[in-house]
This record gives sequence, structure tokens and C-alpha cells, in this order.
Amino acid sequence: MIKRLIFFIITSVILSVTAGYCQDVRLTGQAKQVVMVGETFTLVYTLNAQGSGFRGPNIQGINVLSGPNTSQSSSVRFINGSTTMSITYTFTYLLQASREGTFDIPVATVTANGKQITSNKLSIKVLKNSNSPGTQYKGSGNQNQGGGSQPGVSAGNANDVYIKAFASSSNPLQGEGIVVTYKIFTKVPIAQINISKLSSFSGFWSQNLMKENDKLQQTTQVIDGEQYIVADIRKIALFPLKSGRLVIDPLELSCVAQVRRQTKTRTGDPFFDDFFNDSFFNSGIANVEKNLKSNPLIISVKPLPEEGRPADFSGAVGNFTFHSEVDKTRLKTNEAVTLKCTVSGKGNIQLIDKMDVVFPPDFESYDPKVTSDIQTSVSGISGNQTFEYLLIPRKPGKFNIKSIRFSYFDLEKRRYVTLTSPEFDLEIEKGSGESGAAMTYSGANKEDIKYIGSDIRHIKDNNFRLTRTGARFFISTGFWLLLIFPALVFLVFLILWRKLAARRSDTVLMKNIKATKVARKRLQKAEEFQKSGNVDNFYVAISQALWGYLSDKFSIAMAELSIESVHDALVRKNVSETIIAQFIETLNNTEFSRFAPGEKNVNMERIYNEALEIISKMERELK
Amino acid sequence: MTGIKHFLVFLLMLSVTITGYATMQRDNVLKGNKAYSAGTYSVAAEHYKKVVDAGYESSELYYNLGNTYFKLNDYASAILWYERAKRLDPGNEDIDFNLNVANTKISDKIEPLPELFYKRWFNDLVHVFSVDTWAMMCVCMFITGLFGLVLYMASRVMVLRKIGFWTALVVFSLTIITMVLAWNGYNFTKSASEAIVFAPTITVKSSPDDKSTDLFVLHEGTKVRLLDDISGWYEIRIANGSVGWLPNNSLEKI
Repeated sequence: MIKRLIFFIITSVILSVTAGYCQDVRLTGQAKQVVMVGETFTLVYTLNAQGSGFRGPNIQGINVLSGPNTSQSSSVRFINGSTTMSITYTFTYLLQASREGTFDIPVATVTANGKQITSNKLSIKVLKNSNSPGTQYKGSGNQNQGGGSQPGVSAGNANDVYIKAFASSSNPLQGEGIVVTYKIFTKVPIAQINISKLSSFSGFWSQNLMKENDKLQQTTQVIDGEQYIVADIRKIALFPLKSGRLVIDPLELSCVAQVRRQTKTRTGDPFFDDFFNDSFFNSGIANVEKNLKSNPLIISVKPLPEEGRPADFSGAVGNFTFHSEVDKTRLKTNEAVTLKCTVSGKGNIQLIDKMDVVFPPDFESYDPKVTSDIQTSVSGISGNQTFEYLLIPRKPGKFNIKSIRFSYFDLEKRRYVTLTSPEFDLEIEKGSGESGAAMTYSGANKEDIKYIGSDIRHIKDNNFRLTRTGARFFISTGFWLLLIFPALVFLVFLILWRKLAARRSDTVLMKNIKATKVARKRLQKAEEFQKSGNVDNFYVAISQALWGYLSDKFSIAMAELSIESVHDALVRKNVSETIIAQFIETLNNTEFSRFAPGEKNVNMERIYNEALEIISKMERELK
Repeated sequence: MTGIKHFLVFLLMLSVTITGYATMQRDNVLKGNKAYSAGTYSVAAEHYKKVVDAGYESSELYYNLGNTYFKLNDYASAILWYERAKRLDPGNEDIDFNLNVANTKISDKIEPLPELFYKRWFNDLVHVFSVDTWAMMCVCMFITGLFGLVLYMASRVMVLRKIGFWTALVVFSLTIITMVLAWNGYNFTKSASEAIVFAPTITVKSSPDDKSTDLFVLHEGTKVRLLDDISGWYEIRIANGSVGWLPNNSLEKI
């Protein structure tokens, strides 16, 4: 870097010094004076000093293709011990004359040594382009304009040199390759073939068939009695991408034809004439620049037939073979396996860009590596296209890669052909180092990794019960019995209970109804005993009548009866207190009179009446 | 008289045979447990399998078998036996825990469709007890209810009658509820409508046909619900609701 800087400083110092010495700083414009319409030519400004700030001319009427392009050269000369250094700046324009006429190119300016330097003006004459001779270069020979010589008519003859395009087929099928050849036909030697405009092959996929060293192999051909030298300029394989009318526009080139001038020196002496007019002496050769244009080609492309077109057809047309293989069929998880599919043959092979392969989902697959080995020859394109798929199985098991189908349109058989590969059965075993990898894998795949590394709980070691398989208590006979049996027991109980209750309620009711009757009967008996003077029996009858009435009427067992319980029972039955008191008094009186010493007959009449009265009262009260 | 004697002798012999057989299976279980504890899992599995093949079942036995397969790294079988154990004892926490652990070991992670909340609650309730426990409760409730009724009808004391009436009402409702729960649990146990995938990797098809479209891929150990069964194929539904067909031999019913 520093070196370079030093060099730069030194150079610039020297240059500036030199420039200082250089008195005559000039900017010179140079260009052809006469050009043809369409011809490209250069306009060069030369500055013999170091300059900057070049301002080009305002060129009108002539197209500027490029420029100004600046270049610089310097030279150091040692002559007789003195050192001269010169420096040249050139500013170059590439111009193209677009129309006839005379055009002035105004001055250009540049700043050198602090001064502004102006160039000369130029005038360029543009002539009409015709098939007549173009700009004539001074050839190696003398071009004798006068002296009775005349320009060779042959040099202007359009048939002297021309190019022509040929198509191997003008109505191919879509995808069928055709070869387009551009040939140059010439009767004169030509040099410097420059293709100025290539055809654009829109609607085609193209492949150049000619290598550089193949160029211009010449043959001779006689056309209409004239001998031509023919050379292939370009040879291109074209594969139509769509059907219909496709136009290949013409190729344009420029070349320099070396036109021999029949400069006849008329000396009048036949010997000399012959002598000087032979090829050796008559070296009047003109270099004529010619622009040539080929014919356009019209290709009508037929579509491929619809019928029998396989669903997986992707446009391959030609004649192919198909082969696929896997490098191994038994492998472990996370090992790689390669599936290789090769299509080889002749046709639009480079247009085959993918294979329809379906891999098992547990395989990690990558985009295929596509390698093409294409040979281009004059007859067309052949070779093979290889797709290499790298697969990594992630899970053990048996997997199957379904057969791969490749369909193309066979040009010879004129129908679609489908080639299939065999199926591949892959057996994937668990890899040895799999546990770690699989763990990572599952860990990456799952949300919860909290259980990884944990263990299951221990087995049940207690004395558990084994049952027959499928034996269930639910819905079993035992279950239904356990439900039905208590229900039956309950039903039986219900029935018995009902009966018992019915019977009991009957006796109570009957007693209640009969109570008054029974009491009256007993009182009647007592009356009989009174008349017959049977005192003891009389009191028993009265007592029975009273107690029995209470027992029956109020459903109180005889054994439970006492003066106290009678009182409670009657109160509960809402019997009025006075009647209760009277009833109890009667009872007391009866008991008293029965067991009292003395005359018992006296009270008999009174007790009887009291008993009769209180029962009647009670009856009324209870109604 | 002699007939009855013969019958009794027959019953005695039968019971001896049955208990003898059961004792043999007991021994097998104990041997299995011992082998498991010793770490010889394949031996343990053999012993347990013998008991199962002899026609005995128990949630604990299935659980132990699941553990054994887990230790043998056969996660699909482990899950199958855990699921079978779960059917017999749905609420068991140990079974659930180990089943979860086993499920982390398999490849497929399926996001289950959320169940309606009341369905989930109901299912949880059904699985609190085993079917037979529910059935026993049902019977007990029924009998208690009958006693309540008897009390209501027979008692002369007002308080007792009231207690009897309400007991009967509440307990009979509980009888019906437990009956329903037992029935649901029973259906869950009985229906073999779930299965475990046993093929290492299998592609679920769109119809019961090898040539039909591949839908998705399942791996060993995934639980599927069986919907239909046609000529060697099961229609299956996985937890996220996706439906497809699998060949019979790739599945093992729970």
C-alpha cells in the first residue's frame, strides 16, 4: 500500500515536471470522414499531456453507442542520454451513423496544465447504405482509381456472400429437438466474421452445438453453376417449449470480404496484360465490410398428443432409459442412504429437473443433488441426468419406497412411455447409539419432557385378588339376586304388615261399636243380680261394665287400666272434666260399696242408677 | 338323601379344584413378582402371561405386566396392558402415572380434542370406583333404602317414621345413580372399541384398501378408537379426531 503510494507520488511528480516542459499540448479528434448508414466507427480524442475534466462534444445526428472511454499511456524514452517522457490520454467514443447526411462534431475541451484546451472540429459524411461497395479500405494493393481501371462489379454482388438459416425440421412436436444451422455462402475470401446480432430463440430452449474450434469448417458447394465456399457459422439445438407458430428472427453479422479487383492495366500488349493481370501481379484486393442478415425461420410446433398422456408427464421428449438404485437396503436409524435416479438418452434431457419420488414420512429427505452429463454433438443432445437423494431414516421398521415413475414422449414410437423403477424395501434397525439420538429427537418433538429420565412406579406386590377374566359382579346373577331378594323380602313383609294392621284395626273398631251394647248387657245382668239379692255378683257385673266399656271404647288393654290411666285417656279424648270426675266417682263408689262393710243392699239401687247414667252421658259426650 | 350327599361331595371337590387352580396362579404371580424384583423381566413376563392365559385377571396383574414390558422397552405392549389395567381400575393413580410415562416414550404426540366439560366430569366420576365397587354400593344402597321404608311403615314413633322416609328417598336416588355409574363403567370396560398400534410404523389409509391414499402415519404404542370393522380393516379415530383405516393385524384391542 505504502509502496504503491510512493510510486504514485513519484510518478505524478515526474509527470507534472514533464508536462511542464511540454510546450505543445494538443487535443486532437480523429474519426473516419465517410461512413455508411448503420456502420459503427470510433471517434478518438488524443491528448498528449495529462488532462482532466474532459468535456466531450455535443454529437448530433449520430448515435453514441458508448463513450467517452478514457485510456492513458505513457512512455519514457532515452535518446542520446536525454530522457523524454511522453504521456497520452485518449478519449474514445463508439458511434453509429443512423442516417444519411453530413454531420459536424463540435469541439471537445479538456483541462491540462491548468489551461483549457480545445480540440479540432470534425465533419463526418454519412452515405446511404446499399449493397454497393462500402467504405473501401486501402488494401495491401494499389487501388488505381484512374488509368482506365474500374471497380470490380463482383465486389458489390449480393450473391457473392450471404448467410442462410436451415432448420432440420420446420414442424416438430413440442419438446422435440430441432437443429438450426446458420451457413455462410461465399465466393470470395472473407475474414473477421463478427456476429452483431444473435437470433433470440424465444419459445425455445436452446443449446449451442458448436464448440469454438469447430468453427468454420469449409466445404465447397456448387449452386447454380457457381462454386461457393460454405461454412457452418452456428449450429444450435432448439427445443420448442410451447406449441404454435414460432419465429426465429434472423442472425446478423458483419464480415470483411476480400474482393479481388479486376484492375486491368491496359498496356495494349497482350503479353504484359496477361502477365500483370495474373493473380500474382494483379494484387488489387479490396477489403469490403459487409453486413449480412440471414432469413428468418418459421417453425410451427405441433402440440403433444393428449391421449395417453400420463399424469406425471413433465415434458420430457426423446428417447430415454431410466434407472434407479439405493446404495443399501439394511441400515440403522440415523444412517444415511442414497437413492440415485438416472435418466439417460437423447432428447431435452436438461429440461428434466425433478423426479416424482415419494419417501416414507419418517425419512428425512433433502433436495436432490442433480448432476448432468450432457454431450452436445451436431446430431443433437444426449447424455444423462442424475438425481441423488440423501435420506436419513429416523425410525426403525420396514419401509418401502414406492416405484418411481418417469414418463416421456417417445419420438420414434410416437407415444408416451412410462418407465418405472423397482420398489425398494428398506429395513431400518435401531441404531446402536440410538437411545441418545432418539431421546433428543423425541425431546425436540414433544412438549413435555418432564418424564424423560423418570421411571415407572413399582409393581403391586400385595396379595391382590385374581378373578376369572371377564367375571363381573355387576350384571351378574349374584348382583341381581342381591337386588331382587331384599326386594322380595320387603314385599313379603309389606303384605304381612298390611294384613296384621288390617286385622288389628278391625278388632278395635268392633270393640268400639260393641262397647255400649256390652256395657248395657252387663248392667242388665247386674239388675238381675240385684233382684235375686246376689250382692257380690251385682258389684262384679257393674265393675266389669264400667271398666270394660272404657277398655273397648278407648282401645286400652284391661291390664293397663287404673284410675290414673283412665283419667289420662279420657282427657286425651277430649271428654269434659265434669264427666271424667263423675265417671271416676262412680268407679270409686262401686269399688267402695263392693268392699265396704255393712249393708250392701242399700247402695245397690243407687250404684246401678249412677252407672247407667254415666255411661249414657259418656255416649252422648263421645258422639 | 344320598343324592344330596353326592351333590355336596361334588361341590366340595369343585371348590377344592378351583381354589387349587387359583393357588397355582397365585404362585405364578409371586414368581413373576420375584423375577421382576430380580430384574429378569422376560421371566416375569412369562409368569404373568401364564396367569393371564389361564383366564384370570386383575388390574394389579395387568399393571405388573405393563411394568414388565416397559422394562423390556416394549412400550406398545406396556401401554396395552396399562390400558387393560385401567379398564379394570379406572381411578388408580399408579396406573395413570405409569401409562403417562410410557406414553412419553412413543413417537406419536397427538393433541386430544377437548371433551365437553360435563362429559369429562361424568367420566371422571364413573372412574372414581371400579364397576364392581359401584355395583356393591348400589346393592347396599338398595337394601338400606328398603330398611328405611320398613322403618317408615312399622314405626309408631313419629321421628323414626320421618327418618325412615327420608332415608329411603335419599338412598333410593343414590341406588339409581350408582346403578347408572356402574352401567357406564361396565360399558367402558366391556367395549373393546379401543386398540393400540403394534406396527412400528404404519400409514393410515383413506379407505380399507392398500391402494388408497395415505392420510397420516402412526407409530407403535398409539391408542386409537375403533369405529368400524370391514374385511380385515378397522376404521380408526385418533385422539385429535382424525379418521382413517388400518389393517387388523397392525392393532391389538385393549
